[in-house]
Amino acid sequence: MDNCKTEEEMKGSEMGENPLIRLVDVSKVYRLESGDFTALNHVSLDIMENEFVAIMGPSGSGKSTMLNQLGILDVPTTGELSIDGKNVSHMTNLERTHMRRDTIGYVFQKFYLIPLLSAYENVEYPLILRYKHRDTTGKAAAVLKSVGFDEEMSSHRPSQLSGGQQQRVAIARALVNDPKIILCDEPTGNLDRKTGIQIMDLLAGLHQKGKTVILVTHDQKIAEYAHRTIQLDDGRVVGS
Amino acid sequence: MRDIFFDLSVRSVRLNFMRSLLASIGIVIGVVAISSMGMLGANMQLSVKQQLSIDVNTIMISSDVVRTSTTAGAPSTSQGVTKSQFNDIKNAAGTNVVIPIHRTNTQFTIGSTDGRGSIYGLEPDDIEKFLTIRVGEIPRGANDAVVGSNLATNFNLVVGTRIKIGPANTENRPTVRVSGILPARGFASDGVNTDNAIIVPDTWYTNQYGDKDVYDQVNVIVKDVDTIGAVETAIDEKVNRKTDVIRINDASGRLTSITQTLGTITTFILAIGGISLVVAAVSIFNVMMMSVNERVHEIGILLSIGTEKGEVRRMFLYEAFILGLIGAVVGGICSLVIGYSVVSAMIGNTTYFFMPDSILYVPEGMVIGIVVCIVSGLYPAWKASNMDPIDALRSE
Repeated sequence: MDNCKTEEEMKGSEMGENPLIRLVDVSKVYRLESGDFTALNHVSLDIMENEFVAIMGPSGSGKSTMLNQLGILDVPTTGELSIDGKNVSHMTNLERTHMRRDTIGYVFQKFYLIPLLSAYENVEYPLILRYKHRDTTGKAAAVLKSVGFDEEMSSHRPSQLSGGQQQRVAIARALVNDPKIILCDEPTGNLDRKTGIQIMDLLAGLHQKGKTVILVTHDQKIAEYAHRTIQLDDGRVVGS
Repeated sequence: MRDIFFDLSVRSVRLNFMRSLLASIGIVIGVVAISSMGMLGANMQLSVKQQLSIDVNTIMISSDVVRTSTTAGAPSTSQGVTKSQFNDIKNAAGTNVVIPIHRTNTQFTIGSTDGRGSIYGLEPDDIEKFLTIRVGEIPRGANDAVVGSNLATNFNLVVGTRIKIGPANTENRPTVRVSGILPARGFASDGVNTDNAIIVPDTWYTNQYGDKDVYDQVNVIVKDVDTIGAVETAIDEKVNRKTDVIRINDASGRLTSITQTLGTITTFILAIGGISLVVAAVSIFNVMMMSVNERVHEIGILLSIGTEKGEVRRMFLYEAFILGLIGAVVGGICSLVIGYSVVSAMIGNTTYFFMPDSILYVPEGMVIGIVVCIVSGLYPAWKASNMDPIDALRSE
């Protein structure tokens, strides 16, 4: 691991800056009964810190697989994926779990809030995972407020909230552990146009505050918020 | 503040309240079965032990030397415990009660009916030390006797009835008068089987049969049953100095074997109770698997945002623990009520119900109930924690 890190650092120093995320010849192959299916085909890619990147592509182009790789929910079949200088394939399951908790914040299309927890508890939850105790600093409440969530609703369960409110809670949850990367999967897909714009403004604001925002979408208008668009087709990068 | 995983488990149980309640009822039944069966067994053991302890406080001493007759063909007879040995026994026994006993078999005639039975020679004062008189009183006069319950029933004996002692064809047979009747004693562990016996004053006995200074048996009744071993050793050391001249026995072995048998029975009925817990375990397992399968998507969320596998496991084990705790607490309370009723109905005596040996079955049953739940939750919890987050998230 140390050697890898040194190599990365050397590469980084040659380029003048370390990429936050680096994919080198990454492939993901699913073994199916009908034969092997290559979802990602020799993808190489760097994403620098504080970039706002949109990943686009038609259905079946490998967007979701790419998102799973970037979110280290999965590991590449071949190739190297490094996040924050660490080679994901060399990490233990627990280390990957901790990286998901501390370095990456997830915003999903369907919000994916924990149904049994209140809005406030959903935001508090990643803090508990990290610090192993309930939040006494008021951080969860502060983050919830910062995304424009109505404080009075914080004791409500997700099912009692509107889509826009749920997505605000989800963004607050993604932000509360102060991750470097915000990974968004069609964040406006389940919202009306107006709420979608509010949410995108929120994400743009996070980028301005120094976060690296990666957006997976098929909506060109949403992708326009990003500063760079990576086009995927048939598991390959066809434009960046 | 409480663990959030515990909160999640509580909320999950509350969300599926009816299902959780039904699964817990299985545990309630299991805990009640184990606790009440255990208490029933323990109370049975304690009560039998108490009854038998009354008998087992007696040490029986008889001669270990067999007198070989010089006449060929004559049967060899036991020599008996001599007067000097008796005195040694008395010294060694300290303040415990020492009772010398003469005994033989005899024929007798009551009215015109002949019979056969044992005849005991006892000091009238000693009789009351280990026998109770049901009707009448202990022998006051030189020719008074008390008789056993079978004898009294079979020959319609009442106080005042006269019994001729000796074979029917002998002349000038001595007569005793019934002064008291004993209750049924059964097979007595102190070796004095009175049900078919006539008990006469020792003076009367030795006048008729001789052997004034040689006793057939000497009983030592110890005041504290726990000292029986020590008293036996003291007597043994005092009397059997050079060679074994007396044989020392007690009934504690019988008590041990009876309590062991009862222990086996208790284990057996506990095992039957245990079966209900196995059934409960299956139902808890089922409910836990349902809970895991219903919450696959939620597990996917938890795992994807950085929840450790151990934390997911903990959440489901908490849920199993909560089901177990509900079952155990309700079961514990029910056990006290049902156990008390069962013990009272089947043994008719609840003296020992609250003694540690008995009442401890309630916490034991409760702990077993909780452990069974947690064990039943192990596989579902393991399954939940080892899900692939991507697959889990996809399932909606």
